[in-house]
Amino acid sequence: MKAPDFSYFEAQNIEDAIKYKSEDDEAVILAGGQSLLPALNMRLSSPSCLIDISKINNLNEIKIEGDFINIGALATHSDVMNNDLINEKLPCLVDILKMVAHAAIRNKGTHGGSIAYGDPAAELPAFAVAMDAEIVLSGLSGQRIVDAKDFYLGLFETDLKSDEILTAIRYPFLSHNQHLIFDEVCRRHGDYAMAGLMAKVELDQSKINNLDLVYFATGDKPNVAQNTAKLVIDDGYDYEKLKKSLASEIDFAGDLNSSSEMKLHLATILINKILNKLER
Amino acid sequence: MSAKNSVNISFSVNGENFDDVTVPTRQHLADYLRSQGLTGTHLGCEQGACGACTIEMDGKAVRSCLILASQANGSSITTVEGFDDEVMEKVKNNFLKHNAFQCGFCSPGMLMTTKEIISSKKKLSRDEIRAEISGNYCRCTGYQSIVDAIEESINEIN
Repeated sequence: MKAPDFSYFEAQNIEDAIKYKSEDDEAVILAGGQSLLPALNMRLSSPSCLIDISKINNLNEIKIEGDFINIGALATHSDVMNNDLINEKLPCLVDILKMVAHAAIRNKGTHGGSIAYGDPAAELPAFAVAMDAEIVLSGLSGQRIVDAKDFYLGLFETDLKSDEILTAIRYPFLSHNQHLIFDEVCRRHGDYAMAGLMAKVELDQSKINNLDLVYFATGDKPNVAQNTAKLVIDDGYDYEKLKKSLASEIDFAGDLNSSSEMKLHLATILINKILNKLER
Repeated sequence: MSAKNSVNISFSVNGENFDDVTVPTRQHLADYLRSQGLTGTHLGCEQGACGACTIEMDGKAVRSCLILASQANGSSITTVEGFDDEVMEKVKNNFLKHNAFQCGFCSPGMLMTTKEIISSKKKLSRDEIRAEISGNYCRCTGYQSIVDAIEESINEIN
């Protein structure tokens, strides 16, 4: 369980990191390393070089920019949880991060790292998609902004080009009638979920006006369930009907902890759990 | 601008300076510490799940199996060998009192996590303590006695 051999480059600024990455297809970015290092230790990945960006200044800032809360890529999960602005404007993110691994991992793992790694079982990619976040990418030809929903292409596959580095994530503010509600089922606190759901709900009085359902730990990437969301708005919670709908729009992929059938069941009951939370 | 397969780093461990030491780039911090005789830091799963390798880096608990030695450049590290202050003496005594050790493999990580819990100054319920130590595996004593020790430490110190 030791990492394979690789060379190491400590980038002092973002330009150096981009240049180095553009010259070496096999190089990968090291930020907090809390997903990358396990992958290296298990020899699931063998990059030529790790480009350590963790010492670059000002990439961990959390600030308001226009209509967005901008989280710098290097902000750790602990930084985000303890940030006053996030606690005031985006408190749901603090609750979600409590479900991400354990304190010792949250002290090192970064927001941008989790978004860029694109683990389909991770909370943050699904959160970014549900929130209609924008992903800020910096490359040789400058900056590019991609909608989170277009960023995830497949299993650990994103729209990040070989000369690009993710530098920030921008979250739009939720309006007073919008709520981000989430829940997940896992075997142990802090473990990866067996299935999880991020729901963005827009209410008109107590009636659901608009609903986005984004699942994690169900398939190859954050899975958006558009048709099922419409059924929930029209008819409320009907287990059999919603299960059938989810089965037709998500390609559930089983893993060691749960079969695809079990994930389908959990995905269905998660809708009920979300609706119950909404009523409280 | 060039990449290398070994790097020179400087950092401190338990107040002792390690200046300009050469480490292979692939070496984990835990392995470097153990190679220097600091074998109180244990390696269990080497994938961040078991918590036995938890150390303190710049005042925060981290997994030393998920950090490269090269990433420790410029940092200040405390391992279980450095626990000689009054607070940690109390915690260690509470672990002994409640028999929160059996084989002792998880203990350095449990003590590190307890230190972080206590420094947060929060009063935690037993359920919350269990959630806080969910990242630390014990495979023999059972968690009851460990939770007892942590609970008494919180009440005594905070």
